[in-house]
Amino acid sequence: MIDIAIIGGGPAGQAAAQQTLAAGLSTTMIDEQARPGGQILRQPPATFAVKGWMNGRLYRPLRRLLAQTEADTRLDWRGETSVAGIERIDTHFRLTLSGAHGGTLLARRVLIAAGCYDMPVAMPGWPLPGVMSAGAVQTLLKSQQVVAGQPIVLLGSHPLLLVLATQLLDAGADIAAVLMPQTYGQIARAALPYLAGAIFSPGPLIAAGAAMARLRRAGVPMMMGARPLGFTGDGRLEAVDYTWRGQTHRIAAQAAAVSYGFLPQSDLPRQIGAAVRWARPAGGWETVCDGAMRSSIPGLYVAGETTGVAGADAAMAEGEIAGITMARDAGAAAGSGIARAQARRARMQPFIDLLRAVADPGDVWPQATPETLLCRCEDISVAQVEATMARLSPMADASAVKHRCRIGMGLCQGRSCEHALVRRIAAARGCDPDAVAPFRVRFPARPLPVDEIID
Amino acid sequence: MTHEVLIIGGGLLGCAAAWHLARAGLTPRLIEARGINAGASGQNAGSLHFQIERRFLEPGGTGHAQGGDIVRLNRLAIEEWAGLEDQLGRPLDIHMHGGLMLAENEADLALLSLKVARENELGLPTQLLSGAEARDLVPRLASHICGAAWLAKEGHANPRILADAFADAARASGATIETQSRLLDLRRVGDDWQATIEQSGQITTASARHVILASGHWTARIAACMGLNIPLYLAPLMMSVTDRTAPFLPYLIQHVGKRLSMKQTDDGNMVIGGGWASAPQRMVDGLPDLDAPPHLVPDNLRANLTVAAGVLPCLRARSLIRSWTGMTCISADQLPIVGEVPAAPGLYVAAGGSMFTLGPLLARMLARSIIERAMPDEIALFSAARFAHLNAFVVQP
Repeated sequence: MIDIAIIGGGPAGQAAAQQTLAAGLSTTMIDEQARPGGQILRQPPATFAVKGWMNGRLYRPLRRLLAQTEADTRLDWRGETSVAGIERIDTHFRLTLSGAHGGTLLARRVLIAAGCYDMPVAMPGWPLPGVMSAGAVQTLLKSQQVVAGQPIVLLGSHPLLLVLATQLLDAGADIAAVLMPQTYGQIARAALPYLAGAIFSPGPLIAAGAAMARLRRAGVPMMMGARPLGFTGDGRLEAVDYTWRGQTHRIAAQAAAVSYGFLPQSDLPRQIGAAVRWARPAGGWETVCDGAMRSSIPGLYVAGETTGVAGADAAMAEGEIAGITMARDAGAAAGSGIARAQARRARMQPFIDLLRAVADPGDVWPQATPETLLCRCEDISVAQVEATMARLSPMADASAVKHRCRIGMGLCQGRSCEHALVRRIAAARGCDPDAVAPFRVRFPARPLPVDEIID
Repeated sequence: MTHEVLIIGGGLLGCAAAWHLARAGLTPRLIEARGINAGASGQNAGSLHFQIERRFLEPGGTGHAQGGDIVRLNRLAIEEWAGLEDQLGRPLDIHMHGGLMLAENEADLALLSLKVARENELGLPTQLLSGAEARDLVPRLASHICGAAWLAKEGHANPRILADAFADAARASGATIETQSRLLDLRRVGDDWQATIEQSGQITTASARHVILASGHWTARIAACMGLNIPLYLAPLMMSVTDRTAPFLPYLIQHVGKRLSMKQTDDGNMVIGGGWASAPQRMVDGLPDLDAPPHLVPDNLRANLTVAAGVLPCLRARSLIRSWTGMTCISADQLPIVGEVPAAPGLYVAAGGSMFTLGPLLARMLARSIIERAMPDEIALFSAARFAHLNAFVVQP
């Protein structure tokens, strides 16, 4: 039995591990990637020599933390491993692991710092090869030094697209266009209430401004207020359709990077029954916690995007808070910086609120047609889902719809479509998505080879 | 207003009974606390198993004598399932291409041949196959499978859509079906039953001549609130499903000596179960929480998949995508309890095992016993009267 299991090797998990290791607690970190870093510092394979990797100023504190984590020999690192199950047994936890370090792991305390993932957005043509999430395009760049395809169109409401565009420029990619559905005026109006507070963490704002200027200088067509209509192509992406200034346009592209926001990873908290709530603005479920990062389940802690998507700096602060709290709760010699980390985290909130307001896809969702697939695993269209909903009572929950039309019954178990279904049910009822009972999350959190279970 | 029949529970039993009653002109009202098919009716693995269980084989036991009645019912159930899609006028993913009960060793095989002989004697056309003959049917069966009992009409159906079909048919015939309607109280008032019902914060009462408790694992708890003892005990179970694979298994697979049911769905997924227990969640007082989904028991999952991959080694190459749990109940003697409760005239129950395979048939029989005011002989074996002694000392509130 170990003291601390940390699920996720990103900034939150690393910051927490620093604290628990310093307190002398045995700490195991589990991550699906081969090396720590999380998505924000998705590392190339150890055999790659990449000059100037992730050299930006904003990445420096993250890189420092990563270097410390990788150098810390006390940490039990288990890469290329998924956590398929989590249960509470008496006062400890049992994790079912799959992959390079498969088997079970018993831990007195568990931190879920599992990050977030790109929100899949159903619009016409979205299953075509070449249409990717912005995160996937970025991961290919960061970890494999590969441009997903070109010319590439970036589209969506999330300002991450600006960062991605500069990274693509650095890689020499041919960017056909950046299409954002908000106008500058809408962005300014959304940002205004938060600007005063956000100047306390000006770094990201300055970086966003610099990115805009850089894209302009490079001649990248930036179309604000452009509404993507969908993707077309014969067997793979060939063009992106959109409306801009009252006219419909088609632009040729081999790749598209889509970003309307991010969903917190919620499989494990929900599987074990921790309290969650609908995340805003993009959706999904964030795990509820107190100011010391304790979830509703004694011994289970959460930090980073699992608690609501707020970026890597917030994740680092929350990880530090969680690490100190775990050490305290374990009766170990805990670090003294918890108030400082909490204050640091609090100072970031205005900027996080600003970013959420600016990125909010609420009024600018792309429209799906009846033929658009909502569930890509089981090929369930919008029309099938709507017909099923129409046959049921408006009070029917997400599982009732799923059982009748198979939406969410495939390999991903709803990770990609559940948020969209819940939003549709909420819209039909005229209620908040938080009031709609989502799917019941079950074991395993990832498809688990039968072989691994029985041997 | 007094209803002729009030049905508590919108599962397979309740919805099917509502349909039969409505067709007979009785305009039943059905209330369901959650949604249609939200309980065990939609959570079971969908097996249509008609071969008899080993407890009906043991010579001299009470089970031995009951074997004949069980076989007669199973034959009726086969007819019932075979006609359902026509009667309900829609596809229900009902597949009755046959079922194999497997033997892995000599002891299994001895039991199987005893079983087949007994079933044939009772009029169930089971056939004993050699291991090679079984592998002719399912080439991927493990090489050590040394025999199988084959029954042509076994198979599987889709538990996720059946109750809806009954509910729609019942509505079309004049039944009233209300979801999100919870029974708060049920008591005798004069010759009628008076129910207190809560629906979206509104509390109403309704009286009925007849009440059917088709409430699955809730049945015993509701009965207890009425001062009645119905010996039904929780059976929290687990089922598992793998990713899809190309069709190769059109049959139901069972095991004569181990807990196993296995089939391939229309969509290609392998569904694996067989009566492995899950663990109910507990309330603060330690009693099981009847509303909460039971917890998976990892050791049972491993054991279940081990049995499955033991007879079908190709399962090792599949991935588990979901294990789920559900709650059903078994009666004190493992036979369903169906019919009027002697201590509470006008109150009917239907619960206690095999409720998917036998459900459509038992719902028809139950409706008949209300319409004709007499219990059909075919289900005399399941009569609640066999437990009448348990209510000798009760006072109903």
